[in-house]
Amino acid sequence: MQRRSFLRGLGLVAVASTVSTPTMLLAAPKGPNELNIDLAVKAITGAKAVVKSEKVHMKAPEIAENGAVVPVTVTVDSPMTDDDYIKAIHIFATKNSNVRCADVMLTPMNGIAMFATRVKLGKSQEIMALVETSKGEFLSTSQSVKVTIGGCG
Amino acid sequence: MGKRKSLIKIKPKKYKTGEIVKVSFMVMHPMDTGMRKNKKTGKIVPAHYINEVKFMFNGKVFTTMKTWESLSTNPVFTVNFKVPGKGKITVSYTDNTGESQEKSKKIKPKG
Repeated sequence: MQRRSFLRGLGLVAVASTVSTPTMLLAAPKGPNELNIDLAVKAITGAKAVVKSEKVHMKAPEIAENGAVVPVTVTVDSPMTDDDYIKAIHIFATKNSNVRCADVMLTPMNGIAMFATRVKLGKSQEIMALVETSKGEFLSTSQSVKVTIGGCG
Repeated sequence: MGKRKSLIKIKPKKYKTGEIVKVSFMVMHPMDTGMRKNKKTGKIVPAHYINEVKFMFNGKVFTTMKTWESLSTNPVFTVNFKVPGKGKITVSYTDNTGESQEKSKKIKPKG
């Protein structure tokens, strides 16, 4: 008797799991990590206009032999005083499975608005920098990088 | 996990009060994306990447970063810093498994 009830219980669990997993997958909310580039930018700017600006300079290689290590430097022309400074620099790799690379929050103590790091690129794509000023404006720039050997996976 | 190797570099080496220097923080970290397979066992290596980096001067935060797995293995973070005087730069990081670590370096401007 005990064994029979135990088996019935098992069957119920199996049915429940098969039914619930696909629905759970569909219902799972997309985090900021799984957004595509447009949605990720929107999540940061809140649907404000993004202006392509020459104030933002990006330095990245045009052809990267190894996608696992691509040096990127973003510099912004700004006086960096207490009332006019760069608040944040966001870096995106537009075709990686997770487009967001880094969000850097700066303060006037930095002196110059600059951020340098090394990113991984899965394939040839554009790197984009989105800059938020203390006045609430959004500036951007982008550069395409050719990758001969992918860096992810 | 033992202590990871990390390093703070300041460029140029000689600087005065009020000058702007480059501060780089390097750390030996795998930065696994959660998509790579271990070739020997065939199992997926779970995601393990740095979430947050904080740059502090004498306990006051001057730069915070949120980072994701798209950064390279053994990442480098470089920012500028205007030297206000003598003190200590501390960089701390946290990763998605809750591991955190700190590294500091004294600042001695000449003149």
